Amino acid sequence: MRSKRIPLTIAAAAAASLVLASCGGGADDDGATTGTLDFYTNKAAWEPDFDELNATSESGADITLNTTGYSDADQYDAFIKQSFRTDKSPGLFTWQTGPSLTELVDEGLIAQTTDIWTKAVDEGWVSEDLRDSYTFDGEQYCVPMNIAYWVMYYNKNIFEEQGLEEPTTWAELDAIASQLSDAGITPYYQTSTLFTFQWFQQLVAGTDPELYNGLATGEVKYTDPEIVDIMNTWLDQEEAGWFSDAGSTVDPAVGLKQGDFAMINFGSFFNGSLDGAGMVSGEDYDMFVIPAVNGDLEKTPVAVESGPLCVAENSSQKTLGLTYSEWWMSPDAQTAWSEARGDVAFNPQATVADPMLEDLGTTVSGDGYELYDRYYEATPTPILTVALEQFGAFIANPSDPLPYLEAIQAEADDYWADQG
Amino acid sequence: MTTDKTLSPQALRQRDQYRWSALGFIAPGVLVVAVLLYLPLLWTTFLSLTEYNGLGDPEWIGIANYVEMFDDPGFIGSVLNTLLWVGGTLLVPVGIGLGVALLTWNLKGGTWLRLPFLIPYALSGIGVGVIWSFILSGGGALDQALAAFGVDDTPRWLVDAPLNTVVMILATAWQGVGVNALLFTIGLQSIPREPLEAARMDGANGMRLFRSILWPMLRPLTAVVVGLSIVASLKTFDIVQGMTKGGPGRDSETLALTMYKETFVNSDYGLGSAIAVFLTVVTLIASILYLRQQLSSKHGV
Repeated sequence: MRSKRIPLTIAAAAAASLVLASCGGGADDDGATTGTLDFYTNKAAWEPDFDELNATSESGADITLNTTGYSDADQYDAFIKQSFRTDKSPGLFTWQTGPSLTELVDEGLIAQTTDIWTKAVDEGWVSEDLRDSYTFDGEQYCVPMNIAYWVMYYNKNIFEEQGLEEPTTWAELDAIASQLSDAGITPYYQTSTLFTFQWFQQLVAGTDPELYNGLATGEVKYTDPEIVDIMNTWLDQEEAGWFSDAGSTVDPAVGLKQGDFAMINFGSFFNGSLDGAGMVSGEDYDMFVIPAVNGDLEKTPVAVESGPLCVAENSSQKTLGLTYSEWWMSPDAQTAWSEARGDVAFNPQATVADPMLEDLGTTVSGDGYELYDRYYEATPTPILTVALEQFGAFIANPSDPLPYLEAIQAEADDYWADQG
Repeated sequence: MTTDKTLSPQALRQRDQYRWSALGFIAPGVLVVAVLLYLPLLWTTFLSLTEYNGLGDPEWIGIANYVEMFDDPGFIGSVLNTLLWVGGTLLVPVGIGLGVALLTWNLKGGTWLRLPFLIPYALSGIGVGVIWSFILSGGGALDQALAAFGVDDTPRWLVDAPLNTVVMILATAWQGVGVNALLFTIGLQSIPREPLEAARMDGANGMRLFRSILWPMLRPLTAVVVGLSIVASLKTFDIVQGMTKGGPGRDSETLALTMYKETFVNSDYGLGSAIAVFLTVVTLIASILYLRQQLSSKHGV
């Protein structure tokens, strides 16, 4: 008799805790519009900048951010997803645009920001183009935290020594790379982990933006002959020794400073790292928009990355988070943010502290340029994971690109079959 | 049931009297074990049979995750890498640990010889990974040191497979030798003096003494050390995450990394759980088989 009781007790305990576990799932909005807002971000390195912004937000909106920064992106994503099941879902948090935001919006987890966007667009605080990245079924969700354009940074001293000028065509860029290479200087930076996609993105979008968009929607296969050709161009450049050592773990900012390579294709947030490495903007380093591979394109495509600031639908701080989001879009907030962070501002009325970034913002909003979503946000996560690995493997061992592309396409086939 | 018949009615009453209070006393313990140990296991097993992205509700899909898992060539690669880890950590950290213990256990001041080996054990695996990736990365400390000796054409330690897994096993050995040496020393010191002296009087020395006396008498401890090593190497994660993140491509991925990636990077909790269940089953089977075989009485000395 006694021994039978024990499994029963375990079963009862298990059942009880299952019930407990399935509870929760949101709290009521307390409706406060001022006070301390709990803010979560995967950009732990930016925490001091957010703290610095508190001085402005306290006088502007009477809201203080209590920032918790995560430095591991995967851990952060899992944490945020789990938090929606509890009554501690965040009043404000950073996320990624593209499929991973779609996923949260589809589950009804994100608070709508349509009113905020309507006001911001009417006031001329933000471009209509940018609104598209935040629109789902005609409604807006989240507001842009930051925006970055993917450009080519270069070491100015090396360019001067070699008598080089910023290129305006793809052929000029190739000529620069080959001259540098002949002089024993590695032209480009590369790495075999995480940031393995940018050269692929640059080559594909610069050749044919439609082809690039087709990859994101599944209409174009990675094994498409055009993609294979592009990869072979990349392979030729690898074999010509145009890229840095893939196994090096030297900080890219330090690498550019000490001349391990002359150029690096990175997002415009990289100014902050270069300044941190002791380089002076406009003096030691500069940047240019990478010319399109295909000179016949009417507009030069520029990759843009925009990170959203979101409010959880079931957060107890929903109203407070939305109030802060509205303030965040204003020129005052963006001027202060640009000064704190040293980044491009999405709000054209904001003053940008770094003249180089101010110029960049003006240039790419001009007629000759069009913005496209960065590969990292444009690609569905499971395909992205495989693609980053495969590009990494290709970078580590440059060889026939077809097997790498086939591996990515196999994952893409699985993914799109599931979606169908 | 049979015991009930032998008890007097009075004893039965007495037993009944304590039954509920007894249950009350064991309930907290049982509850803690159920919630912290059984429940996660059952939950993971349940998740492995569903499709679940961490949001919304899990959707039952049967064994599809397991089919997908075994169908993935990358998964097979992970299994092979994990086996390389199991073999490698038995050979290197356990082997060298035994060597260090044998060379120092009956020396005066042997403790001081073993102590330095123990210091890296105080580090976390991820810390060891970060330190060794500085040493082994392209143009890193090792390459610079070799260049000083005129060796310029060094291998790409962390880029080429399977070399990257091998050097990571060596990094683990750097950390793990000390504790294995310590355990083996304890084992050696607990061997009774009499058989040792008898063997020495019979003229056994060196290799002969080791093979006929020390090794068999160390068996209970060897079983524990090897068992722990197998279990630890099957779940290798931190050092690889710290050094190569399983790359380039998936060349150095282990099962634990695959599990982590599917679960937390791809948010495919179902597939991640299936890998976790697979890993648990493999670890359990390996431990049971090994310990059964090793601790059975036929190996007595």
